[in-house]
Amino acid sequence: MVDAAAIDRPLRDFNPWPAVIVVCLVCLAVLFLAPTLGVLLSSVKTTRDIAFGELWTIPDTLFLGNFGEVIANPAVHRYILNTILVTVPATAASIALGVFAGYVFSKLPFRGSDVLFLILVSGMFFPPQVILIPLFRLFNTMGLIDTLWPIIIVHTALGIPICTLLMRNFFATVPNALREAAILEGANEWQVLMRVALPLSLPAIAVLATLQFTWIWNDFLWPLIFTNSDEKRTIMIGIVNLKGQYSVAWGVQGALSLIASIPTLIVFLFFQRYFIKGMTMGAVKG
Amino acid sequence: MADLRLENVSKRFGDVQVINGVDFAAKHGEFVVFVGPSGCGKSTLLRLITGLEETGGGRIFIGGADVTGMKPSKRGVAMVFQSYALFPHMTVEDNIGFGLRLAKLPKEEIGRRVAEAARILQIEDLLERKPRQLSGGQRQRVAIGRSIIRDPKVFLFDEPLSNLDAALRVQMRLEIARLHKRLGATMIYVTHDQTEAMTLADRIVVINRGRIEQVGSPIDLYDHPANRFVSGFIGSPAMNFIDVNEHGPENCTSLGAGSASIELDGCQVAGATAIGIRPEHLELAGPEEGDFPATVEIIEKLGAESLVYLQFDGSDLPLTMRTSPEHPLCAGETVHVRFNKDRIHFFDRDGKILNRP
Ligand SMILES: Nc1ncnc2c1ncn2[C@@H]1O[C@H](COP(=O)(O)OP(=O)(O)O)[C@@H](O)[C@H]1O
Ligand SMILES: [Mg+2]
Repeated sequence: MVDAAAIDRPLRDFNPWPAVIVVCLVCLAVLFLAPTLGVLLSSVKTTRDIAFGELWTIPDTLFLGNFGEVIANPAVHRYILNTILVTVPATAASIALGVFAGYVFSKLPFRGSDVLFLILVSGMFFPPQVILIPLFRLFNTMGLIDTLWPIIIVHTALGIPICTLLMRNFFATVPNALREAAILEGANEWQVLMRVALPLSLPAIAVLATLQFTWIWNDFLWPLIFTNSDEKRTIMIGIVNLKGQYSVAWGVQGALSLIASIPTLIVFLFFQRYFIKGMTMGAVKG
Repeated sequence: MADLRLENVSKRFGDVQVINGVDFAAKHGEFVVFVGPSGCGKSTLLRLITGLEETGGGRIFIGGADVTGMKPSKRGVAMVFQSYALFPHMTVEDNIGFGLRLAKLPKEEIGRRVAEAARILQIEDLLERKPRQLSGGQRQRVAIGRSIIRDPKVFLFDEPLSNLDAALRVQMRLEIARLHKRLGATMIYVTHDQTEAMTLADRIVVINRGRIEQVGSPIDLYDHPANRFVSGFIGSPAMNFIDVNEHGPENCTSLGAGSASIELDGCQVAGATAIGIRPEHLELAGPEEGDFPATVEIIEKLGAESLVYLQFDGSDLPLTMRTSPEHPLCAGETVHVRFNKDRIHFFDRDGKILNRP
């Protein structure tokens, strides 16, 4: 027998908060998804349709001309190549530096290493606008303006704090006994890192790779500052550059925006299978 | 020749002197157990021997060679960690063969030696598994496998059984003893459990606060402890300690117990401030022969024997007595207890044992 009072009670004690939270989340989701939807819709419409204010309607027929135009455009190929040339080395370099620094901070601390770590991590809270002009002047004297180098260097440097922070904290969860066991077996510090600590830290690497890749790929500011010729532009600036002489090419821009987001999606899908917890389970006790 | 020799080894962490001038030598093939309470420096001592921790002073010799400044992997020692420290991302096979692969031995030889170690430890069918797919006892074997494959001069075990449940602990204890017989290697085994020490050791080293209190065979330590610490630490249940009254009658040891006192006639050692007596050296007696009356507080019937927790009448001094289970005792009963006077240990003010005249 079910107690009748027990069924009534939830009605009397109606809790409004879950409903409020759901409404808020829905609003936020709509707010975030609307631009994406707009881009998606504009990419499959002709410039003419968009110009007539047909942006938010669902089209009867899919117009794929925008995609064709973007894919056939040699400038777009150049943008994508440039972006890859910036993103891949900068992502790899910042993670590599974070791995080394994080390993030292967590497993080989030295006098003052805690303070150094704090200083390093505080770099995360530095607004880029502050260092923008000095950096421009620096790279200008070095003759690197309008090459990809400044973008790679700056993204590598800006990635170090977050990479070091994450790697240090992840390495800290790798038991010290594992390092000591490996050393007793004849491993040097490099082998401990490569054969023990790093394989156990794949989740952290995957998170960092996704974060850094997306962030650098989508960056607009630094390529804008450090490059000026069309041959050196990256994809995010390319999207803006893709306009007719007299009109804004909404459809083509929408198509390129979608194409430009594919690599980050692939990177996410590739790395997300490593986003698993408990890699160190079974190392000790259990 | 000594396989392991420590000469005046010491170590401090900051202001804390953790190891204090330890001198010790283990003969070839000996099974030595370092035993002492938690935090006394046992693990630190092992880590000094391995070289994972730098010595603060003194020298360490392994197989006759001075290894004091040598790299851990060159010292010819292997260690089984308390936490096993298996590499979680590697299979059992890769865990065991890790050191050989680092040494770049040929694949066939690694395979052969891993198979040999696996056979000795009976883990042949686990070679493909990862550590998380193993039970505690199996992990323990893998950890031992990783140490024996390198054929070290000295094996070091740091509380290897403390993560296992009681039944498994007894089983693994036997297996380690068998392994020692089979390999004939020098083994240094660290534990805080005196039972483990008593059952496994050829020789026990009792450590307290970073110092060696006494070295000897298990029976030696049990029958002839050097001081009050060793007396209390070795043996379970622990030895009973009773203070000696300063102004007792002549030619007699007077034991203080609150308002009451016990007079042990014809049994006196000058300078004794306390005595110790093991639970099996107290016995039930008739009212005439008994040295003192006591109240039975709790009886633990263990089957082969019973442990009786007594309270001196007129005091709160607790005493433990080991008796045969035939005695029909019940809690609250008053009994008469007699000391086996030949087995009383006398201690001076500093806890050192006093020889009987
Ligand atoms: N790396 C270290 N830094 C500072 N103190 C330590 C360190 N390692 C151990 N100690 C201290 O040394 C003492 C002995 O530790 P340990 O050798 O682990 O004891 P045991 O293994 O006998 O339980 C403890 O008081 C511990 O706090
Ligand atoms: Mg310890």
